[in-house]
Amino acid sequence: MVVHLSDELAWIEECYPIDDELGHKHVSVYVLGDEQLVLVDSGSFLHRTAIADQIETLAADATIAALVLSHSDYPHAANVRPFVEQGVELVASSGSPAQQGLPDATKCDIGGEMTIAGRRMSFIDPPLADRSHTTWIFDHGTKTLFTADGFGSRHQPGSCTATSRDLESGIPPAAIESFHRHELPWLRYVDPERLRMALAAILDEYETAWIAPCHGHPIAAEHVRDYLTALINGAEAIATERELSE
Amino acid sequence: MVAPTREIAPGIHWIAEPGPDRSHFIEDQYDRHPAWYDPADSLHVPQHAYLLDDEESLLFDTLSPACKPDIVETLTERLDDGLDYLVVSHPDVPHAGNAMAILEAFPDATLVAPAYGNAHALYHLDDAVHVAAGDTINLGALEVEFVEASFPDAPIHIWMRELTTETLFPVDWLGYPHRGVETMAFPAEFDTELTVDRLVQFHGRVLFWFQYVDVDAVTAEIDRLIQDFEPVIVAPGHGNPIREGATDVMARAKEVVAAVQRDGRVGTLG
Repeated sequence: MVVHLSDELAWIEECYPIDDELGHKHVSVYVLGDEQLVLVDSGSFLHRTAIADQIETLAADATIAALVLSHSDYPHAANVRPFVEQGVELVASSGSPAQQGLPDATKCDIGGEMTIAGRRMSFIDPPLADRSHTTWIFDHGTKTLFTADGFGSRHQPGSCTATSRDLESGIPPAAIESFHRHELPWLRYVDPERLRMALAAILDEYETAWIAPCHGHPIAAEHVRDYLTALINGAEAIATERELSE
Repeated sequence: MVAPTREIAPGIHWIAEPGPDRSHFIEDQYDRHPAWYDPADSLHVPQHAYLLDDEESLLFDTLSPACKPDIVETLTERLDDGLDYLVVSHPDVPHAGNAMAILEAFPDATLVAPAYGNAHALYHLDDAVHVAAGDTINLGALEVEFVEASFPDAPIHIWMRELTTETLFPVDWLGYPHRGVETMAFPAEFDTELTVDRLVQFHGRVLFWFQYVDVDAVTAEIDRLIQDFEPVIVAPGHGNPIREGATDVMARAKEVVAAVQRDGRVGTLG
């Protein structure tokens, strides 16, 4: 389903049901622009047809100009090939595109900036990530921070297409903790204060209207502080459990 | 073209993909070159797969898609009776990106994947045989046991050890760059020692999250690994296999964590 977050930002919501306890995991694609579209990530092969159909609808009066990848992990990059074959420019942070299966990619540099289809985009070193070459992407036009595997949360059936604005009590802290416990296993060693400082520095530098994770509800600016508090509390719980198990 | 291979212990074959020249890792960062670096030589951060071959055969990881034909040809040339098990340590492209091609070439092989994590279908791993810590596969004179990954980047991840040779396969941990002249050489054959700053060149990129950890927690885990496994050989996914002083290098890696925390990440890889 397509959820329009703003005039130039659409969220293609797809998700994967894990189990009754853990709920669903979003596997999202975002689309920027109105006439010249820029895709952020390409989604999972499981949702290939649904994503292609929704992009085709969005692109009815527009051109798909570029696909920007946060990283080459399969749930983010599994549908790259059809776009490349259509002549869509592929932009990725990988310094080893052949080794990552992306030999056609134009490289973006983490810490740098590029103009892609007329959009100014910054590439940010992500404190919350799995792969080394992951980049967060900030679109200056819509003030959207695309956070790949960061800022995620689980969700229950019925709230699949909800943004933080649609959730009466906000994104449940337990859903935030559960996501991080299961998706970023290195957090078992985390120093929560170091993580908090790194995230706060990014949020201080980039004034965001939306945080757009691949694996969670989009987070509106007014809900970022609450999310961050829940995330750091969750990180403390994850690290404390590791200490207790030693 | 076949990939370069070398036997690291009876029946355990190291298969390497040196990858592109990474001299810029050093040239872009340092005014003075480290002792282990030679500006006249190339520098590589390799991908490694390991073939364990006795009565039955097992391949641990697949190399990257950049050398898909090479790994298939290498296996075809070496395996008269086909491949019995293909184990993917984790579904990262440079580790697992040739799994489909290998399974097409060896359709009788059993795909083995980590039991950890909970979205295997997103990686085509839902139909694999899932293994967790303590599970074993007997290959004849060789027997592997799976080990929970201590430093995983993502949840679907597993390490392995071979019990008779006491070889630990720690995947993304204990990687390091090697010079062109050191390709397919063991560290004991290098001109210089395997130093902390060389290990930092890998871990400060791939385990970038060392910046955000409690250093004591990570070093305690390294101590546990040394105590519990005490490997004779360490065979990383991105560093030449260490056949002498393996536990000394593991202990040295404790300094790496502190260095990455102190100095920040040195760059990216991948």
